[in-house]
Amino acid sequence: VTEEMDWIIQSQQGNDEAFAQLVAVYQTPVYNLCYRMLGEPEAAEDAAQESFLRAYQNILRYDQQRSFATWLLSIAAHYCIDRLRRRRFTSISIDDDDDEHPMELPDQSALNPEAEAARREEQEQLHKVIRSLDATDRAAIVLRYWYDFSEVEIAESLSLTVSAVKSRLHRARRELAKRWQEEQPRTHLERSHHESPAF
Amino acid sequence: MNHRPFEDWLLAEEPLTSEQKTDLQAHLRICQPCMALAEVNVALRVAKPVAPDPGFSTRFQSRLAARRSAQRRRNLMGTFILVVSAVGLFLWLALPFLQWAFQSPMDVFITWITTLSLIFTSLLAYGKAGSVILHVASGFVPLYLWVAVFALTGLFGLLWVASFRKFANLTEGA
Repeated sequence: VTEEMDWIIQSQQGNDEAFAQLVAVYQTPVYNLCYRMLGEPEAAEDAAQESFLRAYQNILRYDQQRSFATWLLSIAAHYCIDRLRRRRFTSISIDDDDDEHPMELPDQSALNPEAEAARREEQEQLHKVIRSLDATDRAAIVLRYWYDFSEVEIAESLSLTVSAVKSRLHRARRELAKRWQEEQPRTHLERSHHESPAF
Repeated sequence: MNHRPFEDWLLAEEPLTSEQKTDLQAHLRICQPCMALAEVNVALRVAKPVAPDPGFSTRFQSRLAARRSAQRRRNLMGTFILVVSAVGLFLWLALPFLQWAFQSPMDVFITWITTLSLIFTSLLAYGKAGSVILHVASGFVPLYLWVAVFALTGLFGLLWVASFRKFANLTEGA
């Protein structure tokens, strides 16, 4: 039995300390998912806390044959999708720019400050364009690229078929590229004549 | 070569041969949509996770404690309302019988016997009336209608049980 499984079993037996260990381990993945989904630090904090509460309340339902990370992130993804749908009905804009950005984990290999600044700018741009996606497409993209989930795992997490996940990922990336192009038309043209991205 | 295969390569994100890479590089210089797709691919691949503000676990513990406290308050309030309602209902139902406390045991006994015999005779009368109706109805109501009535009743019963179970599951999972 791994240490994590031990914490899970103890949590299922009502040990709060064990669940606190799980929170400590998974706080960044869950928060990051919520932040990428909701786009705002405050909303992400609230959603991440709520996701852990739901996991705590339903810990007895967790099937130990499945990955705990997949189960937990699935709870967070569903919660964020619901929240985005509700937000659409309450007509709060998700495209508002906010100056606040949460702490990004430092890149130990980043030695060149200019390159790091450019990377940060690119990441902010990416964060902005991701917010234009439909809630489920957004969840699929986040699970695929930030958590390296396979299409099967995404399908399980989001209660979709594998073919639906494939088509959603393709559609979402086309949409992202379109928005990306719209956001930086000038920069894009300049870059496109001189360089190409790595593959 | 047209635009489509390059877009497919970029979307598939599978390893390319060196010849395919050269073709793709050449295509990217002239195709803005594909260039944007390639840039998005790279940006997604290098994206890093963001961490919450320090003290997340402590905030979670506080929220959990607050949630439990609220749950306890709700449970207490629910129990209180239930008890008050039960006592109120009991008093309301018992009020007519409280006068017995001031009657002689024989009067109480006679009242009880009268009430019981009234209930008994009423039940007998309802039973007789029901059997007469059934007897008369069986003469002109065809068999298939009886079957349909019983089947529909059973179906509605099943539907009720199923919807109740579903509602109970939803509430539990919420």
